[in-house]
Amino acid sequence: MTPRAGRLVPRRLTLRWLVPRRLALRWLAGLAALLVLGQALVVARVDPSALVAGLGGVLRLVADGLPPDPAALPVAGMAVLQTVDIALVATVAATLLAIPLGAAAARPLTVGRYLSAPIRAVAAFLRAIPDLVWALVFVAAVGLGPFAGVLALTVHSAGMLVRLFAESIEEMDTGPADALLTAGATRAQVFSHAVLPELLPTFGSLALYRLEQNVRASLVLGFVGAGGIGFQLLSAMEEFQYRSASMLLIVLFALVTVFELVSAWARGRIR
Amino acid sequence: MAISRPLLELSGLSKRYPNGTQALDAVTLRVAAGELVALLGPNGSGKSTLLRCAVRLVEPDAGRVRVGGVELTGLSGAALRQARTQVALIFQQARLVRRRSALRNVATGALAHHRGLRTALGWLPPTELLRAAELLDRVGLAEVAAQRADTLSGGQAQRTAIARALAQRPAVLLADEPVASLDPEAAASTMALLRELADSERLAVLCALHQPALAGEFADRVVVLNRGRVVYDRPASDADPEALSGPQTGAG
Repeated sequence: MTPRAGRLVPRRLTLRWLVPRRLALRWLAGLAALLVLGQALVVARVDPSALVAGLGGVLRLVADGLPPDPAALPVAGMAVLQTVDIALVATVAATLLAIPLGAAAARPLTVGRYLSAPIRAVAAFLRAIPDLVWALVFVAAVGLGPFAGVLALTVHSAGMLVRLFAESIEEMDTGPADALLTAGATRAQVFSHAVLPELLPTFGSLALYRLEQNVRASLVLGFVGAGGIGFQLLSAMEEFQYRSASMLLIVLFALVTVFELVSAWARGRIR
Repeated sequence: MAISRPLLELSGLSKRYPNGTQALDAVTLRVAAGELVALLGPNGSGKSTLLRCAVRLVEPDAGRVRVGGVELTGLSGAALRQARTQVALIFQQARLVRRRSALRNVATGALAHHRGLRTALGWLPPTELLRAAELLDRVGLAEVAAQRADTLSGGQAQRTAIARALAQRPAVLLADEPVASLDPEAAASTMALLRELADSERLAVLCALHQPALAGEFADRVVVLNRGRVVYDRPASDADPEALSGPQTGAG
């Protein structure tokens, strides 16, 4: 293959390029799109009448949950702390793992140039599997409890962060890195003295965003027994303690909102 | 050995880029210790490629690069890193790490002399920080040592980059259009600094330039490249302005 450099304009730029040449093809494409959407509605059993019929049940559930039961607050407080701590430990661990792995996976730096493809493949696998599925795996491995949640979020987040860190290394200006490389510095030195100081704010911001997502993810980890407030919510629902459940939901909402605000503020401050 | 300090010998350097451009066509060039050679030529004449081949940032197809008798071509790994400390390259942009102080930027030039786990993890030896302070003083920037690199002016940044180049203890200083993005005043003082380094440190300086006037004022010798070939090579003192400006405007 010999790409022709320098030709930005097609040789025969005629009006024909501006007119849709294959009108029939476009109609066919439109029809195909409609068919795909149609089968999706059928297979997913979309049934608006069921929603209307179920509306009463939803309203009854809301009514049963009001007012929220303050007696659930102490339990909720402890569970909230555990939820945040699961996310915190997992995010820190994932960040520490992802910095060296992301560097090794980034192409222009060629820190371990043979490692790039395998590391990327493993990272893609880790993040392709949802954290809830990882939680099931780790509950089976280390038993019920928050540590299984920590492991699940660590593994999934590391997969995400390796890719994001590697991409930000690949997008950065290579000037300072080249300057040190031609001065005879080793690749590890180039990374720690030129790449890391430049990208530390970026890494920090990505890690904070990941922490925010992990707090949200760790809420549902309790559903599979991997610690956190999700477990309390699930048991309250199963025991028909709707007023406790609504209290937990309010605490959850406050937690997520506060966390997003703090995280957005912190990310805005990093420069 | 007849020569006390190493000098730069480029012989028969050729480079053809994948797109078919013959950037260098058997270029032979020698720069002695203490000599400042100006490299002129129109855009695309191969000046940048020549300098990048000399440190093997670009891999030449043929030819040899020797610094003080040590051949750079064919080396790899630790041996290449060791040889590279002899040759410092300064770019048009200062290429400093923006979020680090001028002082720490200068000290990173010496990293090749300090291998090991600690420097690999971001540590800088205190002796190199002291030396960096001296070098900043040497280029007239002692007062900005603690300032973050992204707060320096263009001229200050380029001087800091020169100090970083000195920190690697080079014998040869290559400069790729070091003054092209500076105002005339900063350009003149940067060239004067290079001249002074050639004289007092006995560095061999090879400097690609755009302005023939600066070459005439500061260089010992003027070499003109055109289409990857050396078309002119004479002492700056007997260079006639016509010959210098001719290829610049003619092919540009």
